[in-house]
Amino acid sequence: MTATTAPKAALGVLPRSDGSAKYSHAGYTLTASVNGPIEAQRRDEHAYEAHVEVIVRPAAGVGGTRERHLESLLQSSLAQLILVKNFPRSLIQVVLQIEDSPENDYVNTKLVQASLNFAIMPALVQTAILALLSAGVPMRATATATAVAVVHQDGAKKMVVDPSPREVETASSVHVLAFTSHNGLLLAESEGDFTVGEWDDVYETAKEICCRSTPAKEGTAMVLDDEEPSATDMRQFLRSTMESKVAADLHWK
Amino acid sequence: MSAPTIKLPAPLFARLSPHPFLLRNLTSAADPSRPATRTNGRGTQETRPLHAKASSLSHAHGSSLVRLGDTTVLCGVRGEVLPVERVPLFRPVDRGGVGLGRGELRDYDLLVPNIELATGSAPQFLPGVPPTALAQTLSTRVYSLLHSTGMVGVEDLRVWSKPAGGGEDTEMEGAGEGQEEEEGVKEEDRVVAYWVLYIDLLFVSFDGNPFDAAWAAVVAALRNTSLPVARWDPEREMVVCSRTEKRQLNVKGLPVACTAAVFEEKELGEVGTGVPEGRHWLLLDPDRLEETLCREAITMVVDCSDGETRIKSIEKQGGTAIGRELVRGFATIAEKRWKEVQGAMK
Repeated sequence: MTATTAPKAALGVLPRSDGSAKYSHAGYTLTASVNGPIEAQRRDEHAYEAHVEVIVRPAAGVGGTRERHLESLLQSSLAQLILVKNFPRSLIQVVLQIEDSPENDYVNTKLVQASLNFAIMPALVQTAILALLSAGVPMRATATATAVAVVHQDGAKKMVVDPSPREVETASSVHVLAFTSHNGLLLAESEGDFTVGEWDDVYETAKEICCRSTPAKEGTAMVLDDEEPSATDMRQFLRSTMESKVAADLHWK
Repeated sequence: MSAPTIKLPAPLFARLSPHPFLLRNLTSAADPSRPATRTNGRGTQETRPLHAKASSLSHAHGSSLVRLGDTTVLCGVRGEVLPVERVPLFRPVDRGGVGLGRGELRDYDLLVPNIELATGSAPQFLPGVPPTALAQTLSTRVYSLLHSTGMVGVEDLRVWSKPAGGGEDTEMEGAGEGQEEEEGVKEEDRVVAYWVLYIDLLFVSFDGNPFDAAWAAVVAALRNTSLPVARWDPEREMVVCSRTEKRQLNVKGLPVACTAAVFEEKELGEVGTGVPEGRHWLLLDPDRLEETLCREAITMVVDCSDGETRIKSIEKQGGTAIGRELVRGFATIAEKRWKEVQGAMK
């Protein structure tokens, strides 16, 4: 079963934070809140730039070592995107609460797991970016991310975008790639057993999803749509979400 | 040049403004033809030699001491018997049954890595604080890689109710088994216990590139591990271990981690714009000073033990300087590192 549902997002869902977003895609639902720039704690204070703090809270239980790792990955990526030098000595805090995650239909997995969950990383990146946009934090670029699994089935190699937990388990390798809106490779995490050639194919697939040329000529857009009708265009999704939010906010004018 | 020059000793310069210090070293203005050298005297693509020493701890089932320049890691592997009655939600396994091995290792937590960054190993580690984010991140990465590479097979960690190998090595137990069969008790061969491997790593001294050193120590320690032969004693209904007999743990492959950090010319430069402004250098095997100055890093784990280069993991984060070509090119660098480490592990 492949959950090929289109991503859904809502902005400004939390009334008290500076910015917030709710995002659901591929079975994952997350809520993020962004507060900033606020006063930094003494030990986090940096004389020349803002400190970016990311907190990931799992759906059940308290965060463990896995959440710390996800936080460090997100922190290093978001600090590259946010114009941290504009806010010296301050703090920008991103809190991500996982609300719902897809279950493995085949085995009863433990609730708390220490190993890295690749499938959730794109959702974390996307939610954080949407919340930052909603908070109006100045950024030099946005980012989009996607997860791709390489599955060997009956001797044939197949690429699965946004894999389900079962597909992650049976896949020979799982990859997460994030691209900035300038087509730079921001984050690349891969695990499993693969070759350079396979990684190249994955890169192509992920790039197609994350940074399809947005408003290109209409003719080429049509051709692309015919070729791959199922693949979602994450950058377009980010854009349309923001557009609809802005349109709703300016409705009174 | 008429500007007054202030002479500063190199350590002071490094302390006062580390970024220009490293930059000056890399861009040697005196002689542009000379290849760039780092503050530690190495070339950009030069790694520190890895020294690995196995079985340095007498009470562990397997251990190793790995030195990578001034980074020293001690790794000890200790096995403990976990009876299946103590496993929650245990699903019985039958011999010859396929079953995904990875599931057992993961679900019953049979591999438990833990990393401790000792106080005093580097100035930034303070005494009496909870595990730092770095220590937690490192142990997650080691845990994930241990499972994804499948280095340790679950077959080695199972303890069966009947000795393995059928009738080959059962001379002394032959009588006992015969009696059982005479009694007519049809006892199924079943898994009675598992070995849990506690893999503890201690950073004795810390000078950058912790993951490469930690992973090399884990691999060296696992290759050195031999567990006592355990068997099921039906009379006492418990697992007993042999005092003398030991069995070497089978470790599949030799994955080697290779890390590089990206040093950018512009301090806190404008990145994220696709093509980074200014030059950047890929510094292989970064030390502590370089790690504090670099934001972007790539770690690639490769295994060439089957003749073919297989990538086991790529972790790239913190910037956009490393694009597709650099990742592809990094595979050959990692391959070279694999050969060096393989030589050191023998």
